[in-house]
Amino acid sequence: MAETLLEVKDLAVKYKTDLETVFAVNGISFSLNKGETLGIVGETGAGKTTTALTILRLLPERVGVVGKGQVLFEGEDLLALPEHDMMKKRGDKISMIFQDPMTSLNPVHTIGGQIAEALRLHNEKNRTREQLEARVDEVLEMVGIPPSRKGDYPHQFSGGMKQRVVIAMALACEPDLLIADEPTTALDVTIQAQVLLLMRELRDRLQTAMILITHDLGVVAQMCDRVAVMYAGELVEKGTLADIFTGARHHPYTQGLFGSIPKLEDESKTLLHPIDGLMPDPTDLPEGCRFLPRCPHACEKCKEKQEDIALSPTHTARCHMLERKV
Amino acid sequence: MYKYVLKRLAWMIPIILGVSVIIFCILSVTPGDPGTFILGAGGTQADVDELNRKLGYDLPAWQRYFKYMFGALRLDLGTSYMTKLSVLDEVLAKAPVSVSVAFLGILTSLVIGIPLGVLSAVKQYSLLDAIPTFLAIFLAAAPSFWVGLMLMVFFSVKLGWLPSQGITSIKGYFMPMLSLGLIYGAQTLRFTRSSMLETIRQDYVRTAKAKGASERAVIWKHAMQNALLPVITVTGNNFGALLGGAIVTETLFGLPGLGTYIVAGIKAKDIPVVMGGTISLAILFSIVMLLMDLLYAYVDPRIKAKYAGNRG
Repeated sequence: MAETLLEVKDLAVKYKTDLETVFAVNGISFSLNKGETLGIVGETGAGKTTTALTILRLLPERVGVVGKGQVLFEGEDLLALPEHDMMKKRGDKISMIFQDPMTSLNPVHTIGGQIAEALRLHNEKNRTREQLEARVDEVLEMVGIPPSRKGDYPHQFSGGMKQRVVIAMALACEPDLLIADEPTTALDVTIQAQVLLLMRELRDRLQTAMILITHDLGVVAQMCDRVAVMYAGELVEKGTLADIFTGARHHPYTQGLFGSIPKLEDESKTLLHPIDGLMPDPTDLPEGCRFLPRCPHACEKCKEKQEDIALSPTHTARCHMLERKV
Repeated sequence: MYKYVLKRLAWMIPIILGVSVIIFCILSVTPGDPGTFILGAGGTQADVDELNRKLGYDLPAWQRYFKYMFGALRLDLGTSYMTKLSVLDEVLAKAPVSVSVAFLGILTSLVIGIPLGVLSAVKQYSLLDAIPTFLAIFLAAAPSFWVGLMLMVFFSVKLGWLPSQGITSIKGYFMPMLSLGLIYGAQTLRFTRSSMLETIRQDYVRTAKAKGASERAVIWKHAMQNALLPVITVTGNNFGALLGGAIVTETLFGLPGLGTYIVAGIKAKDIPVVMGGTISLAILFSIVMLLMDLLYAYVDPRIKAKYAGNRG
């Protein structure tokens, strides 16, 4: 059995403002083994980014509040760590790649300087300035940017190149866990493929565990070992890549997600089957199943609190209808 | 970059021409003539005409303009109608006072405004935000002569530390500096605060935190440089405006500065004084603006690239 790297237990996060409370994440649990890639999929606003920010403890101050739960990283609860110890983990043990490479680099610092900063902040080996610079060259080469450009500023790079810089920065310290929050969403399709390939290659080479947040099921199929489907702050279905993509039984929301993808072999000329309706208002979530208002199979029992139903040792879904068929 | 500086310096020529034409036109269309002002009610029309002729005021306005501007080309800014003193000498004596008072005032405003602005942004909604913000609004609303008078009451009358008038010693600069520094510092504080608040919500600030940078490093290394850009613009404008516009402060503390010199000239229809003073101000203003733009380029590589005509 592989070693567990990260375990999130019953995590709930809300955003509290004077006007309202947004229940962004509502009791999610998942775990990640060393070297493994977990895909978290779901619509915009499902709480994917909030989950990622909570793991790194980068929620907006005062507004973002962890209601309950634990984030165990190598057995240690990150949520209970003093800020100073958490700072040492960020960028060194756990790194993050953000969605928009256009805005995630500081426009007034050189890219080499920004990568070197990550190294300098976690310089336990007391490497000299020259050694750090050599490492900057090395990581730039690793992501396919000529080291001669390290003195350039972000505005001198294209979007795809910037995302490579961001990746180089995140991987500079060879973290154990990389959280990638929609790393390719802001890029155009050809560049997306290049960046994904690069990420997969580096992940395999550095043996980094990864949480890949996306709403693109194609990306998940290419990159992930396991998949969690998130809806309105809950993980409605969890399983291996095979469970989710080829398994026979699914949560109705997962079915809806797959129904929203066009199929090449589909001869019927039918249009896409998008899921009707919108996600529930996160300030006022329904009792019971969160998907109830949009579910084609809704019944009375859906109004009760839903439990995870095991479909196989690796596959669970949070829908009572799946229970009946066992 | 040098090319850009040269281009900007060359731009000063049309600016000076424009300023001089506008000022001269305004002076020409307003009623009154220097002879009447100098002789007062006692002079006969003949005496007034004679004096005007001596001053060269009998010529048509356009001729006087060209005469003045050709003189100015040879660094002759004319002599004052009233005092018979060389305008160039006067300007050279007064400009350093104006520049140093404006510079010291702006410097003080930055020293007060930037740290407090950053503090109140970082500690938004706390007492450390509320108190500086309250003081800033209070000072921004207070008339500048009142602030100056209060300083005078405190430092000259109560404590007796500083002279209330003049700059016979270096001490004389302190109160003008502080009064301008407080008023403009309030503005700088407000600007720094809002700019900082916007900057610390940027994605790259989050990226820096995700790298493991401390809160302090994030603020001073990553956010500061970006947040200062709009502050530089405002500061440059303030500095330029203060060169000739600190009239209240100059009058209050009895400072022989350019602002009061020009205003006195306007009142007496002393055309060489107004023209010479204004042209000097325009030159100083242009230089300050150029320096600010260069500072801007130094802080923001994107602007620098634009000046240098690079890609991006």
